[in-house]
Amino acid sequence: MSPLGFSIEQRDCLQEIINVAMGLASDKLARFLNTFVHLQVPSIALVGATAIPDEFEHRYQDAEATLVSQGFFGNEGVRGEAIVLYQMDNAHRISALLGYEPGDVSEIEMLTDISSILTTTFLNGLAAQIENSLSYSAPRVLSSRHSNVADVLKATSFHWEHALKVDISYQLIDHSFNCDMILLIPGEAVSNIKTILDRILEAY
Amino acid sequence: MPHLSLSNPILAQLNSGVLVIDDEYRIRYLNAFVERHANLALSDVIGQSIFNVFKDLPEAWLKRKLMSVLDLQSPAFSSWEQRQYIFKLPHLRPITSSSQYMAQNCTMMPLHTDKTEHQLICILIEDATDAFVYQQHLSRTLVELEKANRQDGLTKVLNRRYWEEQLKQELHRARRYQHSLSLILFDLDKFKDLNDKYGHLGGDFVLVELSSFISSLLRDSDLLGRYGGEEFGIILPETGLQGAVDVAERIRQAVADYPMLFNQQTIRATLSIGVAELDIKQHFLHEDVIRCADMALYNAKRTGRNRVCSFQAGNTEYHKKVN
Repeated sequence: MSPLGFSIEQRDCLQEIINVAMGLASDKLARFLNTFVHLQVPSIALVGATAIPDEFEHRYQDAEATLVSQGFFGNEGVRGEAIVLYQMDNAHRISALLGYEPGDVSEIEMLTDISSILTTTFLNGLAAQIENSLSYSAPRVLSSRHSNVADVLKATSFHWEHALKVDISYQLIDHSFNCDMILLIPGEAVSNIKTILDRILEAY
Repeated sequence: MPHLSLSNPILAQLNSGVLVIDDEYRIRYLNAFVERHANLALSDVIGQSIFNVFKDLPEAWLKRKLMSVLDLQSPAFSSWEQRQYIFKLPHLRPITSSSQYMAQNCTMMPLHTDKTEHQLICILIEDATDAFVYQQHLSRTLVELEKANRQDGLTKVLNRRYWEEQLKQELHRARRYQHSLSLILFDLDKFKDLNDKYGHLGGDFVLVELSSFISSLLRDSDLLGRYGGEEFGIILPETGLQGAVDVAERIRQAVADYPMLFNQQTIRATLSIGVAELDIKQHFLHEDVIRCADMALYNAKRTGRNRVCSFQAGNTEYHKKVN
């Protein structure tokens, strides 16, 4: 059994669903951005939400980072909050990526746009595979350049019990672009996901 | 089905705007909220381009958003915090709000129906004017709070805590860029006598009057703060000892020649002034520079008041405070 009571089969199934969702998302993104998107197999980890701040404190210690949060909810009790973390060094690359002219939109709008695109394309792909569909709240910037990532994560993850950590690394032909995505999921949604995974496993 | 027949009355009553367009930006539907706020009728605008009906739309920006909705089949969002509104509509609080148009949160969603061959997008418009107004109040309050946090309540020059913070930063900067930095400390002569003669209101009046007068004699980059009671400090960035002594002398002279009218009485005041320059080999903390300027100030007091003394390294002839 892996943490949070996922069996090995359930975990493998989830990894597979996430791989496919990521593939679908990168395919959509490539078409939308008119560039080749190379995507690494995302590594996933299920952890207690309280462990999240420490996990990311180290990685974003010396860099200016921004967190963007977006809530999602679907049928069968699937719900949670997706957080995308960026190093601000990437910000100018993001604007080139989306085809914005300099000064066209604010940095915050740019970040919420790209976060929303990454989050919703990925989660839509995930939902489609489990025959679900999701609604989303508007993306919200949780931190600005001057706040500490771990502190902001502490304030956010406090409300949640579990977290599904998904490391995403996108590379585009002209730009390399990295970010992390964390899916924070409440306890009862984890059991609902397990039920769904079992149903999928039975079908095979 | 009975619940379907509920959709229309709900949409008509909904306190949010609902607008449906197709992939050629033609209006397919809008609810009563949009009709009333924009003062138009669905029957007049149906089939027309949204950009013809709403002339003020940010066309290029909106088209890019809508394209992402269709291409990615995922929602796009716009927040009033980044863009106050997309649709230029009046709001319902014209009197209590400082903004003329409705602040909006908009969501653009792909709409799935099997009745049409065109792809549809639903645009949801939520009135965020309340949040916008609160945010404006908050920003104003924060600006005032920040000001209050660094001002001395009586004299409106920098308070001691903030002034010392600035001194630390200036010291750091002077050290890093090898710039000179000088400090002036001055004290009102015989302030106690002044209080006795004119009362505390008179004493306060002199402090306020002189603070504003001395501020007017300084460069923008000089930082005047109230160090305590009747003692003040001036940070002079990029200024050597001689330059600072010149400034101090000019202030001393100007104050001595400055009559202040209080309750039909003319009050005159003089200053004792101590000047010190940062010595990066000797001074490690901001307190070290303050201590040197303070010693020079005591020297100015001891040798007769209404004068400027500067701190000379190696000179140990500085004495304890006299009034």
